[in-house]
Amino acid sequence: MILQIIVLVVKVLLLVGILMGGFAYVMLLERRLLGFFQLRLGPNRVGPGGMLQPIADALKMMLKEDLMPAGADPLVYRLAPVIAAFAALSVDAVIPFGAPIHLFGLTISLDIANPSIGLLIIFALSSLGVYGLVLGGWASQNKYSLLGGIRATAQIISYELAMGLSVMGVLLMAHTANLEGIVLAQKTHGWFWLPQIIPFLVFTITAIAETNRTPFDLPEAESELVAGYHTEYSGMRFALYYVAEYINMITQSGLIVTLFFGGWLGPSFLPPIIWYFIKVLIAIFVFVWIRATLPRFRYDKLMSFGWKILLPVAFIYFLGTAAFVSGVL
Amino acid sequence: MVGIFIIGIIMLAAAVAVIVVRQPVHSALALVGVTLGLAMIYLILQAEFLAVAQVIVYAGAIMVLFLFVVTLLTAGKEETETKDLLSGQRWASVITGLVVGVGLAVVIATHHPTKLATSLSSSFGGLHPIGQELWGPYFLLLAGVALMLLTGAIGVLVLNRTEGTKAPRSRPLPHGVSVSDGEGESRP
Repeated sequence: MILQIIVLVVKVLLLVGILMGGFAYVMLLERRLLGFFQLRLGPNRVGPGGMLQPIADALKMMLKEDLMPAGADPLVYRLAPVIAAFAALSVDAVIPFGAPIHLFGLTISLDIANPSIGLLIIFALSSLGVYGLVLGGWASQNKYSLLGGIRATAQIISYELAMGLSVMGVLLMAHTANLEGIVLAQKTHGWFWLPQIIPFLVFTITAIAETNRTPFDLPEAESELVAGYHTEYSGMRFALYYVAEYINMITQSGLIVTLFFGGWLGPSFLPPIIWYFIKVLIAIFVFVWIRATLPRFRYDKLMSFGWKILLPVAFIYFLGTAAFVSGVL
Repeated sequence: MVGIFIIGIIMLAAAVAVIVVRQPVHSALALVGVTLGLAMIYLILQAEFLAVAQVIVYAGAIMVLFLFVVTLLTAGKEETETKDLLSGQRWASVITGLVVGVGLAVVIATHHPTKLATSLSSSFGGLHPIGQELWGPYFLLLAGVALMLLTGAIGVLVLNRTEGTKAPRSRPLPHGVSVSDGEGESRP
């Protein structure tokens, strides 16, 4: 019992460490890649190849003054970034990032928890993340922040529906909502991206929208709203929003890999956990690539795209999958 | 059992805060606290699917829409105490609350928890049992509720539709007519 608790605590600490380190270096990776996409170098001055840039950034953020507007709501203003970071970090607890390993006679599964409804728990926890955005925007008492927060609400709620529908096909094919079960089902049925190609595309698009990244970065559109919901934030609170955004990106990449690309599965010359991280890195690269390539949506186009194209397409494909799986077709 | 009591006390405090605090956004936040507490009680009762559905539907969707409206309407406004439109509703609410509370207390005091057993199986609340119930014996009711919600959603769309919505953007509008772009706002 005590041993299990120790293992659990170690796993939680490891996961948070990996995620925070991942956040720092995914951010550096993104800045370097964006630099190359735009025919410039990107940050390469601090340390060899810019490898110490995240540490310099973290120091800068921690030492900066923590400002709060005079008219702000102090409680909600302080709470909002914490909610955003909490929702982002907690989601990863149920994503398995490797096959169970055997260590000193113990079988350790590489996730914090393995509930039978893991997929739904991910949706529940990530749906709480929007509170950080809308509350931060409201509490700042700034028109740009408020507009950013309200845009974030409308966008995330709209795209969440298409996202939920797009994973229903995977759920039907795997016969389970347990993420480890979904990975193991792909061992026998083949990876789901091919039979679920349209849900995969819908999921990827909605994942970008849920993380508020270009071309869906309307809540923080710098040409219209200064910085959107986090205009007034500085120092560590501002950094927390960045933590939330990048960890959400890592999480969504992990989900894409788990649901559609066989999770940790792969040829046996590399350990499963390495396969998982390679796949996640590829997904993150695609995220950055899309950001570097596409311009921002116009607001009404964003809404009509979500409601009139993504949602019906995901729904029809879901109905088709249901008919196919149940043997009607 | 202890957990349920602790969460219950937190939920009660949050529920009181919903009606006591001045700022509507704070009320909405307290209401989010109540729904999350309810989800935790479901979890303690091992009704995991109910708990997750509670968070997804209430905390994740409905309360976000509440906040959407509240933040939009109250931004920058000083809250002022409005006069009660219905006279005596405070007293009515106090009396109703007392009657319900005393009734519940009497039931709890006179009935041992094990005697309140229902016909539900102990696994009720998981993904499979709820699915079996909903799509089995209760399918007609489920379809009825779905139709009702669909009617409501379409009703909102119809009521919000203005005459000018179909007009192309480039055509100049008659003087004094403002057209809201019905694509973004008119969803339920």
